[in-house]
Amino acid sequence: MLEGRMAVVKPEMKSYIWLQTADGSIQQVEEEVAMFCPMICREVLQTGAGSSKNCAISLPQRVNAAILGLILDYCRFHQVPGRSNKERKTFDEKFIRLDTKKLCELTSAADSLQLRPLVDLTSRALARMIEGKTPEEIRETFHLPDDLTEEEKLEPLRNMTDDPRIRLLNRLYARKRKELKEREKLKNVEVEEEQHVDERSVDDLLSFINGEDEDSKGVRTTKSKKKNRRRKEQARNSSTNNETGNHNQESSFPASSCLNDDVPSPSKPSDLQDPAFDEGDIDDELDPVMKEEIDREVEDFARRLNSVWPERMQEILSLGQERRPVPLSVNGNGSLKRYTAGLDGR
Amino acid sequence: MSVVKQRILPNHPCNAEVEVDKISNLPAQIVDKILSHLSLRDAVRTSVLSSKWRYKWVTLPNLVFDNHSLLISSQDQTFIKNKIVNIVDHVLLLHSGPIHKFKLSHRDLQGVCDIDRWILFLSRGSVKEFILEIWKGHRYKLHSSIYLCQKLIHLELFNCLLKPPLSFSGFRSLKSLDLQHITMEQDAFEHLVSSCYLLERLTLMNFEGFSDLKIHAPNLLFFDIGGVFEDINFMDTFNLAIVSIGLYVNPGFDRNLTLGSAGNLVKFFAHLPRIQRLEVQSFFLKYLADGKVPGRLSTPCNELSFLSIRINFNHFDECLAALCLLRSSPNLQELELLARTEDQLDLRTMANVMEENYQNCMFNQLRHVKIAGISGVKQELNFINFLLANSPILERMTVKPASVDGAWEMLKELLRFRRASVQAEIVYLDP
Repeated sequence: MLEGRMAVVKPEMKSYIWLQTADGSIQQVEEEVAMFCPMICREVLQTGAGSSKNCAISLPQRVNAAILGLILDYCRFHQVPGRSNKERKTFDEKFIRLDTKKLCELTSAADSLQLRPLVDLTSRALARMIEGKTPEEIRETFHLPDDLTEEEKLEPLRNMTDDPRIRLLNRLYARKRKELKEREKLKNVEVEEEQHVDERSVDDLLSFINGEDEDSKGVRTTKSKKKNRRRKEQARNSSTNNETGNHNQESSFPASSCLNDDVPSPSKPSDLQDPAFDEGDIDDELDPVMKEEIDREVEDFARRLNSVWPERMQEILSLGQERRPVPLSVNGNGSLKRYTAGLDGR
Repeated sequence: MSVVKQRILPNHPCNAEVEVDKISNLPAQIVDKILSHLSLRDAVRTSVLSSKWRYKWVTLPNLVFDNHSLLISSQDQTFIKNKIVNIVDHVLLLHSGPIHKFKLSHRDLQGVCDIDRWILFLSRGSVKEFILEIWKGHRYKLHSSIYLCQKLIHLELFNCLLKPPLSFSGFRSLKSLDLQHITMEQDAFEHLVSSCYLLERLTLMNFEGFSDLKIHAPNLLFFDIGGVFEDINFMDTFNLAIVSIGLYVNPGFDRNLTLGSAGNLVKFFAHLPRIQRLEVQSFFLKYLADGKVPGRLSTPCNELSFLSIRINFNHFDECLAALCLLRSSPNLQELELLARTEDQLDLRTMANVMEENYQNCMFNQLRHVKIAGISGVKQELNFINFLLANSPILERMTVKPASVDGAWEMLKELLRFRRASVQAEIVYLDP
């Protein structure tokens, strides 16, 4: 039916359609294969283009030469009418085993050529890559920048997701928010920059310190939460810290919560205690595997927050004063003086 | 509160090759498509991925709130209900753009009045598919604003009460209606069906409030009903191709049809010229057998290719009705006879169907026959004999008795039957 309209049809040869991709390269494709794409089909029927090299059909920009090759492979297989559903399915499953970059390009190109079955196939494959994964995993897979501010992440998600991991993260965030508020109330004058440092909670810093210690890292994953709790308890009771036995750490703990000496320390520890975190149900609801993952996430989170910590530490050391009366026993030495020294206004 | 505004950069060391984020720049419809393959929960979770992804999910056209997308681990009913209401409210408020499909089907959600609010919200838009399943509790009375959703193409309700207002003039675009465990009044039902002119599919299961079914639906193609009713009449369903009817209650013997008037069987098929697949389930054959049953229908069902009948072989009238049906289906390709045993045996029904009833019938297209639940009664064997003798291209007949009692005797009889088709194989399945 179409043959009559094609310019060049030699009975013994197949007829070809000429296609041009955005980068200028032109190739010829068997007619039945190319016509499987609705967009090409329409072009041929409406404008008669593609019959020779000179009037090659310009494909949309989203279709580059490599992707066109893939698409034509797909068309070449599926346009054969005799294939069974099983065959087609097997082909499809093998066909979409591509990296995410190719998959995205393929989806985009198929969409511009209006090849719906291929768009469905690829979008389903992409969905499978998103399904059930953690945000970190998804970001990793698709190279997404983790560029949401903490504030934006803090915005309520909890109602929509009942994922215990998100719940836990939300609790952590809530806790942090609380600490931020506390700090606000207590501080009178602070430099903007340093507030960033100040916002970190003691626990995060403690856990960061934990993280530096290679031995404890392994143990950490399953027991860190309990450890944290215990540490808090111990610190509050001013008993020996179980990490390094560093006196700085232990004695400065109560004071770390209050950045001004004026505020009496007894009131602080109780405020530090996040009821959410101490709820028994956190650990009860989560199975060990999940706990590990969550602990890893908490670690990541804390580490991210503390990313500028080393620089800060240098600054503090050089200034000779302790802006943050936090145990600075990273080096394992007690070189940093306690808060009593030099905590006057800058 | 001084909040950190700076963006946190990822902690990765610089890679030699630049990892490009391709997926975030795909056109919105494609992203919608990808997200639509995820459960609503996973789709909403993508809002934490990156700044570009924050609001990609809000344009999803299909919102499905079911057990899979609302994971709530709790036993407290109030808590669950509050959670569900919160989630739906939240999603609807954040959503932007048209909503094409809305499905609410959570096993712990009862018919709370919050649903009214959501239906009102949807009625302001142009929802095309509305599915509401109330798994627990009372019949939920559908809020009146559902009847304003004139763009509805598919409406599916489970455990609801429908009471359209008097001014309701049907869903102009409705093609598919699925009502299960619903309560509705007789006139309301008739009016609903007849006013949805485009209706192609109608499913009715376990309904209350009406028992006389008059189906006015010229575009109806598919009809599936199972429930308790007294009468069923197809008025102008000339396109109806697939019918499955189950009458769940035994119609009494004391039904008085005026003598001479057409029996139910004739009446039933009067308006089904194009029927292709028919399933007569539960006690419906008994209903059809009521009244005068001719030897064959005046207009044969030429397009009927699949027939499945639940039949009580001990009931004389039912056997006659089945034979009439068979004789009126010259192009039948696949047949199922499923035996139904009843406790009460009426002496009248024990009379055997006469030999001549089995004459004059050829099934030139019949290829597959399945007979199940039989016990070797003479009537059953007569039927099998009849089918085997009149099916020249039969390929396979599957026989499955109800129990091992008498199975051996039945097999012995089966062996004797003559087969018109040389290809025929009789497969005996263990009970």
